[in-house]
Amino acid sequence: MKSRTRFAATSLLAVLLLALVGSLALAQDEVTLTVWSWRTEDEDAYNEIFDVYEAANPGVTVEFVPFVATDYNNILATGLTGEGGPDVAQLRAYGGVQALIEAGQLLPLDGEVDLSGFTDAILKGATGREDGHVYGVPFGVQALGAFYNVGIFEELGLSEPETWDEFIAALDTIAGAGYIAIGNPALDSWMLPILHDAVAAPRYGGPEFEAAVLAGETDFTDENYVASIAVLQDLQPYLPPDVTGVAYNDARTLFISGLSPIFIGGSFEIGFWKSEAPDIEVGMFMVPPPPDSLTGPLVPSWMDGSYGVNALTEHPEEAKALVEWMGSVEFGQMFTDKINQLSPVAGTEPTDPLLAEFATAMMENPAAYMLLVDFRYGDPTGTNILGPEIQRLFLGETTPEEIADALQTGIAQWFTPAEAE
Amino acid sequence: MTALPNANPDAKPRRTWRKNAMMPSVPTIALFILPAFVLYTVFMVYPLVQALIFSTFEFNGLVRGDFVGLQNFQQLFSRYPLNEQLPRAFGHNVAFFLGTMAIQNTAGLLFAVLLHKPRLGKRFFRTVFTMPYLISPIVVGYLWRLMLNPLFGPINNTLKSIGLSDLAKPWLGDPATALPTVILVNAWMWVGFPMLLFGAGLAGIEEDLREAARIDGASNWGIFQHIEFPLLTPVIGIVTVLTFIGNFNAFGVVWSLAGVDGPPAGATDVLGLVFYRTAFDGGSDAFGLASALAVLMFLFIFTVSVGVQTWFRRLEDRMQ
Repeated sequence: MKSRTRFAATSLLAVLLLALVGSLALAQDEVTLTVWSWRTEDEDAYNEIFDVYEAANPGVTVEFVPFVATDYNNILATGLTGEGGPDVAQLRAYGGVQALIEAGQLLPLDGEVDLSGFTDAILKGATGREDGHVYGVPFGVQALGAFYNVGIFEELGLSEPETWDEFIAALDTIAGAGYIAIGNPALDSWMLPILHDAVAAPRYGGPEFEAAVLAGETDFTDENYVASIAVLQDLQPYLPPDVTGVAYNDARTLFISGLSPIFIGGSFEIGFWKSEAPDIEVGMFMVPPPPDSLTGPLVPSWMDGSYGVNALTEHPEEAKALVEWMGSVEFGQMFTDKINQLSPVAGTEPTDPLLAEFATAMMENPAAYMLLVDFRYGDPTGTNILGPEIQRLFLGETTPEEIADALQTGIAQWFTPAEAE
Repeated sequence: MTALPNANPDAKPRRTWRKNAMMPSVPTIALFILPAFVLYTVFMVYPLVQALIFSTFEFNGLVRGDFVGLQNFQQLFSRYPLNEQLPRAFGHNVAFFLGTMAIQNTAGLLFAVLLHKPRLGKRFFRTVFTMPYLISPIVVGYLWRLMLNPLFGPINNTLKSIGLSDLAKPWLGDPATALPTVILVNAWMWVGFPMLLFGAGLAGIEEDLREAARIDGASNWGIFQHIEFPLLTPVIGIVTVLTFIGNFNAFGVVWSLAGVDGPPAGATDVLGLVFYRTAFDGGSDAFGLASALAVLMFLFIFTVSVGVQTWFRRLEDRMQ
């Protein structure tokens, strides 16, 4: 009787001990990595993508936590200061990530993580301006171009324009048929620098001008840059009437409802066209260079953001392994397939035909969307000045010369050419 | 209950007893004040002091840097385009306030007078007029933005269909009409508020006064002009101060109706939007700069509010 009790007690103890040891071992192997993002719309896609990673890395669970995009910067900045923050965070690009880097809230990744799949131009968006270290693995690229409604173009007997004259002739035909030729907005000022660069980058000389400004050889008051702003005045008759009252979503509605066959914007619209207007066949073309352009057609692009590691993470090695994988072709291909955006990883091929067209055009005619890529490192940013100024241009309150002066004045407060390199 | 020490207990025993009985002990008073005091300190005083401290420091994102004294304040008035946006936004706030006083509060007074007498429909109309301010400003802005949409909006479509195409303007897209439109929409939203206050004020005026005037042969307008309106002075004072505070802190409606940079070309830019942009869309030193702006806005609103209130109180005293 006594021995049986002792046996029972001993076995119970043994079982408890085993369970304890087991759970300890499990606790050591099981790692949950939290990934924060501003892409609520991509939650399902990311969960599918991370399922693949979890299958290949037993013991690692990746939890994707998206926040509302407009509040994300503040949420992340707060999250990175203490407990409860993410292990891996989606980071804004270029100027948008500098505050986090300067505050020492991210781990440097160069030398730690294989970044060989990326060009320097791409990595620039995740690089600390002060210390030159790379703090994120880029996940996306955006490019600018013109979307068009293939059905309406066919109905009007139009083809993709290759010269400025053809472009203007096409716009006249479209307007003559009762459509709004270019259904772009001007109420939301952020779309205006996009329109300017997509249309007029060749007029100011694209990458060469960018290099010259960064080197201090010229500035925004350059006559070619002034002329590039004036190109928008030439296009205004083809934009919606009272364009400064037309909001971004109104403009997208013009396009998907077939009221306007052209929308000039970024590759990030493709997902929206696909989901909101699956019946409309959408094509893309590069806006032909305006008269007196210094280059051929250009496709301005920028790195959209990256994934970095929280300096306070409890699992730095696992987190680094995860972001390294996010720089692989496997991740990049799934990213472009499932999320319909361009991946910056060399060796990935977009399966979506429209996206593939953007990729090809961007590869063959590369340029940087320079106000975003180079002039968001200080306040005011280039785009924050140019946007409202172009509104004033459309309202007839200012001239291209005055706009160029305003842009230069604003940027010169924090930008010195020597610093740029 | 501990009685307060009384120097002369025999003088007026009954009264003293009462006084002491009604006067709770200091710890009791403290206990009752404590919750409000803690809440007020934590949610009002602390953030205000915090903002004042932040405004004198340099920031790197959320990380506080060196003490810079008044440099942030100086930056507000010297950094382009902030130095142009601030005075412009201030002017728009002034226009917003004057426009709201003229339109919203006059209409509120009119509705209050019209709804003072009738038995029938009084409740119904009061509810209808106060309904909009139960809706979030963001939703109100969004709804009116849809209504006023120059391409698809029902307002312009209606105007066009009844042959008034000339009146079909891009209401929010034209600098000449954008701010007035914002003021009107804001008035539409808030008109029920002054209406209720004026209504309560009118109800508080003794009916005898009106009857006496009527017997003396005063018209309805005469009664309003010489009796009701002057007696509403305290309410007008309250409405003015609340309108001033509300308008100088305006954000939600403008933000959702027009946009974050007060389009077109800054025609609807107000201080609230400038603050928002500085704080959430500025450079890495945004925190200090935005705090400085917040401190200035607070000081201005506080000073003017106290001033207006004092002025109205003197006016009341003089009338009495």
